[in-house]
Amino acid sequence: MRKLFCFLPLLAALSAPALADEVFLVGGAKFTGRIEQQTDQMVTINIGDGVIGVPTSRVEKIVKGRSPLDEYEDRAKRTKADDLEAWRTLARGAAQHGLSAQSREAYGNVMRMAPDDAEARRALGYVKYDGQWMTEEDSYRARGFVKYEGEWMTPSEAQQAQARFDSEEARRDAELRAAEAEAEAAAAQARADEAEERAREAEDRNRWNNPVYWGGWGYGVNTWPTTSTIHYGW
Amino acid sequence: MFRPRLPLLLALAAVVAVLFVGASTVLSAAEKPSATPPPATSVDDIVARHLVAVGGLDKIRAIKTLREQGRITAGADRQALALRERKRPDRTRFELTTQGVTAVFVSNGDKGWKVSPFDNDVAPTPLPEEAVAEAAEQADIEGPLVDWKQKGHKVELVGTETVRGREAYKLKLTLASGGERYELIDATTMLRARTVSTRTVKGRPLEIETTYSDYQKTGGVQFPHRIEVVAHGRPQALLVVLDKIEVNPPIADSRFEMPAGAAKTGAK
Repeated sequence: MRKLFCFLPLLAALSAPALADEVFLVGGAKFTGRIEQQTDQMVTINIGDGVIGVPTSRVEKIVKGRSPLDEYEDRAKRTKADDLEAWRTLARGAAQHGLSAQSREAYGNVMRMAPDDAEARRALGYVKYDGQWMTEEDSYRARGFVKYEGEWMTPSEAQQAQARFDSEEARRDAELRAAEAEAEAAAAQARADEAEERAREAEDRNRWNNPVYWGGWGYGVNTWPTTSTIHYGW
Repeated sequence: MFRPRLPLLLALAAVVAVLFVGASTVLSAAEKPSATPPPATSVDDIVARHLVAVGGLDKIRAIKTLREQGRITAGADRQALALRERKRPDRTRFELTTQGVTAVFVSNGDKGWKVSPFDNDVAPTPLPEEAVAEAAEQADIEGPLVDWKQKGHKVELVGTETVRGREAYKLKLTLASGGERYELIDATTMLRARTVSTRTVKGRPLEIETTYSDYQKTGGVQFPHRIEVVAHGRPQALLVVLDKIEVNPPIADSRFEMPAGAAKTGAK
């Protein structure tokens, strides 16, 4: 699979032209950022956390204007490196506009100046547990959770999940043996299908970090969306 | 023997009064306890009082479209902007935006489609069945307790429970579709305090608890502006904070129609 998503450092974004755009896809999905290139085949847009190429055939319309990303970058350029409160304000504003990368950058500056700043620590993914700042995953570990197929849960939940998996494996193996007895050719096909399914499951397990459990408000994504999964150019 | 003097008593009374006023401001107006709740006699009584507390049947039935905007936090360093639109009958559209990328998930209650760049979709593709089912539950603008008998649902009062330190009536709701969940109605405010349901996640049953708070009135109807979702035995929590709710905004039907040229297969 082609995976050419290009991560560009923020420095590159800062040096780009000041125009910001919204690229609407057919169906309403959209990219907000700065168009870097537009040809008959492809629109290339910098979203502040990398560059995404969208086939022109999938673009419904483009609306040009200033984006929160531009606002952030303009203000960041004017902010003194040691102005903690200004960086905090910038970080909050970026978070409110869904600009995670910019929010992280600004909170990173806050934390460099004030390593124990609770707001910045939390925003950067740290959790205070037992009086110590630690990563979210370390805090889960400290609280006794275990990771099973990329999902944090209680040890008893993990045991139950493993028991279900073992039972399913046993059923599959039995089916496979029956298939082998029936015909070697069919068994070969079954093995191929099995391998494909396990590969899919492995891929799914890898994607399963940061699951999203919906409960009556929102739907559609199973794992927390991240731009790092987006392929360049499709 | 210690004898409290009058000024000391007055000062103490003032402190108590300040603490009381301070504590009461934590809750929104709709959530403030008023008096001891009258005992509920039946499901019909609880549902009737609940619907009055929400705003009354006329106001609820007058909602034809609904647009809610807010922010979703799924843990440290995971935030997104969210938009949910609903339109009778049974149509929902959900948009999630993070880092300048917006994904769209749409359902008409029966089928659905999505354009999710996070899943590498740039063309509309069918929405997976479980997402359509999730959307269908959210498509009922007025909620399942309105006309529940006519809708074919079943409601039973199974007891009371404490939600965030307050007594709540626990109703077991069996949807006409076969799904089951518990609705916990705050016994004082008669607003929905929590729902508990079991969903299948990665082939495993998982109990999901959704707690509603910060109720505010829009269009004469009470809406929760803070929604917290936790899964049993999981450390992560999902928090939805709604900044803006619009009742009956114009929403074109085309917002829910799958665009031409959509892929026939390929749902992820």
